[in-house]
Amino acid sequence: MSRVLVAMSGGVDSSVAAALLVDAGHEVVGVTMKTFCYSDTPAHSKTCCGLDGILDAKRVADALGISHYVFDVEEDFTRDVIDDFVSEYAEGRTPNPCVNCNSNTKFKDLLARGRALGCDQIASGHYVRIEHGPAGSSLRRGLDPDKDQSYFLWAMPRSLLPKLLFPVGELTKSAVRAHARELALITADKPESQEICFVPSGNYRDLLAKRLSPVHPALQPGPIVRRSGEVVGEHNGYASFTVGQRKGLRGGFSEPMFVLRIRAPEREVVVGTRDELFEDVVDIGGLNWLGEPPAAGERVNAQLRYRDPAVPAIVTRIDDSLTLELAEPRIAVTPGQSAVLFDDDARVFGGGRIVAASTRTKRVATGC
Amino acid sequence: MRHVYLDHAATTPMRSEVREAMDPYLSDTFGNPSSLHRWGRKASAALEEARAIAAKALGSQPGEIFFTRGGTESDNLAVLGRCRAISVEGGVPTLAISAVEHRAVYDTARWADSREEVRLVILQVHLDGTIDLDPLRVALKDGPTVVSVMWVNNEIGLLLPVPEIATLVEEFGGTFHTDAVQAIGKVPVSTTYPGIRLLTATAHKIYGPRGTGLLYVREGTEIAPLLYGGGQEGALRPGTEDVAGAIGFATALRLAVEEQAEEAMRLGALRDAFENRVLAQIDDVRINAGRARRSPSISSLGIDGADGGLLLNALDLEGVASSGGSACASGSSAASHVISALFGPDDTKATVRFSMGRNSSEADVSRAVAVLAEVVERVRGLEEVS
Repeated sequence: MSRVLVAMSGGVDSSVAAALLVDAGHEVVGVTMKTFCYSDTPAHSKTCCGLDGILDAKRVADALGISHYVFDVEEDFTRDVIDDFVSEYAEGRTPNPCVNCNSNTKFKDLLARGRALGCDQIASGHYVRIEHGPAGSSLRRGLDPDKDQSYFLWAMPRSLLPKLLFPVGELTKSAVRAHARELALITADKPESQEICFVPSGNYRDLLAKRLSPVHPALQPGPIVRRSGEVVGEHNGYASFTVGQRKGLRGGFSEPMFVLRIRAPEREVVVGTRDELFEDVVDIGGLNWLGEPPAAGERVNAQLRYRDPAVPAIVTRIDDSLTLELAEPRIAVTPGQSAVLFDDDARVFGGGRIVAASTRTKRVATGC
Repeated sequence: MRHVYLDHAATTPMRSEVREAMDPYLSDTFGNPSSLHRWGRKASAALEEARAIAAKALGSQPGEIFFTRGGTESDNLAVLGRCRAISVEGGVPTLAISAVEHRAVYDTARWADSREEVRLVILQVHLDGTIDLDPLRVALKDGPTVVSVMWVNNEIGLLLPVPEIATLVEEFGGTFHTDAVQAIGKVPVSTTYPGIRLLTATAHKIYGPRGTGLLYVREGTEIAPLLYGGGQEGALRPGTEDVAGAIGFATALRLAVEEQAEEAMRLGALRDAFENRVLAQIDDVRINAGRARRSPSISSLGIDGADGGLLLNALDLEGVASSGGSACASGSSAASHVISALFGPDDTKATVRFSMGRNSSEADVSRAVAVLAEVVERVRGLEEVS
């Protein structure tokens, strides 16, 4: 059998992915990527530099009788993922750092280094399925609808697909845990990681404050306005806001107010009623295709945020960017988030980043 | 897959003579050497026998051998202990070390310097194994000075002119310490050279047990202990003695010294065969300090255009054990202070250290070179990975 590199984070999913590959008779090489240092964690703490994850991965690899190495990718990760995360918020958008990590850092780097180690294929513990056929390889949603992670993988270069394996994509989370317990892996009952890995506190504003200049406009007070332009309050920096957010908006409004837009150049946060949050025309840029690109007029299924269902949509225009008209309006379509396009069989054929959203009726009204 | 262990500078397997010598002291003869009863007396007699064997192997007196728990501990005890003994008499001593010392000396010296316990002088080392002695002479003339220069460098095998420097230091009334951990069994080592007042040795690099070292302290050389307690080992290293470890170490040391000349010839031939194959089969490789006098067991390669960490991973996957510089530094991506000192801070070559030992054969080195040639090609083929 072939030599396969498996990315092991020290969590249960990648532990089981490695175990399944061993069972299948592959020569498995475990790798943990050292991505960043929690600079505000005391140096003696075990969690410094994700050491906990590295040690857990090492112990699992040892239990499975496979080699394990650490790849230090801190420099690339900081540049491609953390810096991008910060600059997206600085421009008033809401990024998906996991998309960047998977597409720019993780798989490309693992494949390159894996080749140097004589590995033909790269595996991870993502809940997605991949099918390798004569017509090429295609990526599908994971079998477990609650855990599906296809939303985070659309931006990978298509050329990588034939090299990838996702052993747990065919399983449910509970089956993965059961398998880990059966093998008595120490990660079997390890809790899920929910937060963004480099923002362990969950408060990304601290990270922005640390990495942006204190006088950066994104951190300065600015007006809260209605669509009409009427000023209804002041905020303490638009970087703290995301579209659809309700929390943190003070002031005696007669009904709950939500963030509709962030206008970075004006430092304005635009608010409105819940009804105003629904939009059905979405402009998408930064496209990437894992299958054949759709033609104008084609029907697709579009997922506009993680854990959202995909909705039917028509591609009304496509070149370097594309426009989608949704069959029904969606709430809080957020610039910076990924829009991932699926066919009716849950295959990912590509995606992009949301640039802007609007409503059909309004387009007509404003003559756009 | 054929597994080839070429990392003997990291540690060595225990030889059977050592295990057999230790065995009674791990079971039947278990007493505490400080006890006054017959169990204690037997243990004490064994410990003193071990001390006598070790002393003889190094050309010293039994009273000058102090067992410790390893090389790092001996280095700390020698350097800090001697400097502290001097400062008790008043004043801050100068501590002069070579730029290529093991971290057990290097980091200890920098720590003591940062605490203003010593004035640190770092002596530049050249690729031919010579050392800049002018700053040393200045320091020696200036006041009480402790000098620490290793006999054989652990990362690249460079042999340093220990007897010459020891003589110079003695002439000026300074104290000379040498870390001989990588030298014993590889080159002739003796405490009879004039001026060697302190010498570090450890067991596990010469097929002895892990966790036992010794410090040779020449008669009349005052050092302060780092630990306080029951007064064992002349109060220099208190704590209940490890009799089995001492016996094992003494046995290993005796054998290493007895076999040194013959083993050095064999290892040297093996290393030369290895390096000739490397140069014939792989382009753009530098033998680090290849023209200098070196340990016969260490071959350190500087490999162009390759990621050092990946090279080690790839070698391991194909069953070949080696190190990047020293085993202690593996896993960190920063260039070692030894490579920086010898080749400048901008040296971008990947360093891989192969170290041969008693069980290494011609077949081992030929397999290692074949694997190295293959993985170097693969790792060099990698498109830009930072």
